[in-house]
This record gives sequence, C-alpha cells and structure tokens, in this order.
Amino acid sequence: MRRILISLVALLVGLLVLAGYFFPFQLSSVLPLIIDAALLLVGAAGLIGIGYLVRMHVLRLARKERGKFFSIIFLIAFLIALVAGLALPPGNTFYRNLILGVQVPVEAGLLSVLAVMLLVASLKLIRTRGWTPLSIGFLSSALLSFVFELGFLQAEPGTLSAELLSFLERLPWIGARGILLGMALGGLIVGLRVLLMIDRPYGEE
Amino acid sequence: MIDWFLAGWVVIGVSAVLLLLLTLFFRLRKGYAARRLTSVDAFRTSQFVSIEQGRFRQLLLGDQLWTSAYPGLGLQALTILPKLLDVESAVDGGLSLSAGEGSLAVFARQIIEGRYTDGFSTALSSSGVRSMMPGVTPLSLTAGMLSELSAHPHGSLGLLGHLSPSVLLLAETVQNQKGHVFGAGGSLSAQAVLYPVVQDLLLGETVYMLPGLIDPGAGHQAGWMTEDILRFLLICGLIAGAVLKMIGVL
Repeated sequence: MRRILISLVALLVGLLVLAGYFFPFQLSSVLPLIIDAALLLVGAAGLIGIGYLVRMHVLRLARKERGKFFSIIFLIAFLIALVAGLALPPGNTFYRNLILGVQVPVEAGLLSVLAVMLLVASLKLIRTRGWTPLSIGFLSSALLSFVFELGFLQAEPGTLSAELLSFLERLPWIGARGILLGMALGGLIVGLRVLLMIDRPYGEE
Repeated sequence: MIDWFLAGWVVIGVSAVLLLLLTLFFRLRKGYAARRLTSVDAFRTSQFVSIEQGRFRQLLLGDQLWTSAYPGLGLQALTILPKLLDVESAVDGGLSLSAGEGSLAVFARQIIEGRYTDGFSTALSSSGVRSMMPGVTPLSLTAGMLSELSAHPHGSLGLLGHLSPSVLLLAETVQNQKGHVFGAGGSLSAQAVLYPVVQDLLLGETVYMLPGLIDPGAGHQAGWMTEDILRFLLICGLIAGAVLKMIGVL
C-alpha cells in the first residue's frame, strides 16, 4: 500500500510539473508550492548529506582507522566553518575570505595534480587500448586540437585553407554534439521510464 | 519558423507513447535483442572476485543529482543501484556507496533500505552496505574519496552518474591497488579523461543501457527500442535539415 502511494505521489507530481509547461497560467498557484516543497526537501537532504560526511569522519576516529589524522583536521575545520557561518552574516567578507582562502589553494593543488595525471594517462593510452582505430583517432584528434588551440596556424580569410582550418577547429565540437545528443535521448528515456513508473528505483519492480 | 519548444514536447509525447506501447508489447512477446557489452560482464566479475578476495567495492553515484547539461545522469545512477544490490553484495559488508550531494546520498540510502526490507532474507541487513558522502563539491568529493580508497584496498570501483574530470585520480588509485575500474557515467570531459586509462568504460548513450544489461526487463527493452527509433528519426531530421539548408529552403 505504502509503495503504491509513493508511486502515485511521484507520478502525480511529475505529471503536474510537466503540465505546468503547457498550462503555466492555469497552474500558476500550484507550481510554486511544488517547487518550494522540492527546494525545502533538497535543502533538508543537503543537511542530511553533511550529517553523513561528519558521521563518516567521526566513525573513522572512533574505529581508529587509517587516515584518522585527516579526519581530525576535517572535524576542526568543519566546526570552525559551522560556528563562523552561524555567528556571522552570509555576506561577511571575513567569513568568505576564510573559506575561499582554504578552498581555492587546495582545489588548485588538486587540479595541478590532475594535470600531471592527465599527461601520464595520455601516455598510457596505447598500452591500455592498443593500436585500435578508436585509440589512434582519439590520440591524433587530441594532439591536433592542441595544435589548433595554440593559434599558431593562421590562414588568409576567405581562402580555401581558412575554410579548411575553420572546419578542423569545429570538428571536435561536432563530435561532442553527437555524443551529447545521444546522451540527451538516453536521459529523456530514463526520465520517462521513472515518470511512467516503468522503472521504480524507490521500490521493488 | 519552427517552434522548437513545441518540437521538444512532440518528441517527449511520442517517446512516452512509444515507451508505453513497446513495454506492453515486450511483456507479451519475445524481447528486443541488445548486444552484450564485455565491460559490464567484467564489472560484475570484478565485484564477485572482490568478495572472494575479501576486498572492498566502491560505487560512486556522482557529484550531482541534476545538472542542466546532463539532466538524466543522476537519475540513471539511482536506477542502476537496485540492480547492483543483490544478496551477495551485503554478505561481507564490503560494499560502499558514495555520493557528492545530499539528495543523492539520501536517495541511495532509501533504495538500500527498501531493497533489504522488501525482498531479501532477514538474515541480511541494509547495514551491510555503507553509504557515505566524502565531499560536497566535485573536488572535495575526489579528495575525500582518495582518502577512503587509500585507507582500504579496493578490488572494484564503479563510476556512475555525473562526474568531473578529477575522477581520473580515483581510477588511477584503484588501478594502482590492482583493482578494477568501471565507468558508466560522467560528463563528456570525465569520459574523455577516463578513456585512456579505464579499459571498461561506457561512452555516450551506452551509459543509459546499463540497467537493462544487468537485468533485462520489458521496460528496459522498450527504452532501448524507443531510443533507437528516436535516434533514427533524429538522424533523418538532421540530414533533411542539412539538405534543405544547402538548397536554400531553410
């Protein structure tokens, strides 16, 4: 019974939001309520998520697992951010600088590690995939894209070589659009399957 | 001029009707044959091998439930989840689910609870599957996951949902521990950075085939066929549009 009720609520709300695109004026009183409720739920889920994060580190400390030193640092930083966030107003410059002063350098450090890893990964490509048409195509198109992005290759505007260069520069975007179209179709079908209750991840099928 | 808003709704309407009709059709008749993907078989094998070797398994459900560029990826990760929570998965308590957003973590927990209270033996409990949120932004998620993956040697890592290119670091970490990495999600950039290092990687729309490949049902088969029909119509439309543009009609 509970499962049917959940499914029905999900279906009705989904259809109502969909109908809102067709009849925005007729449903103008209902849609904001649904969207506000959804925002409230997402906010509550965010708080629960932070609870998961804290619990994970507390458990790691309690169980004396490897990496507990980092958990101590996390919990101290979390407490400082929480107390400062509650005590100071949201737009406070000191609070913003405190958070960004830690977040930006740490994320920049991680990104620099990622850049090195990307270089190593590209060198591993042939070892992982072998000499296949796809791997050769991937490697050569990545290299060519780099060369084109550098901007060293220039051609006289209006000439055939300029047209060819422009086509080669657009080529990666054409491929990306093809993949994105396929993913959009896949996403549409997943959404419809859940909305029409063909797929029910929140209960038994 | 074409009303693209209306065209979009026509596509949604046609897809919904096709999906319903084909689901009904496949329930009554023989299903729609889809090709097997060796990557999916390798992923399932790595899960069982990890259990036998007493190693941990990790499923990353992505860093966001919804994004405007990839709206279905978070939901796709959640629809795969019930297919991966079979009886064996909770036996040793070595399966962990991670997410980078509160709503994803909460939904994942709900799916685990529902799965183990509804269908399986009372001897098993949902506590056999750990769910956690190692970080709240894509990079903090990666940092938290790196710490978790380094603390326990992992035999299998499944990358699902919306991911950022920083997942490359996670894939490298698990591979250095002689673990298996399987990718079935990610943004375009994440798929591009994983391609050189991850052997078992689903690209583009094949990501959305995963639930049906693990557990084929009439609904999934109808989804595949609807997608194929839409893809065919889209290709025809693109070619027709290009021809009309070339001859100056559009």
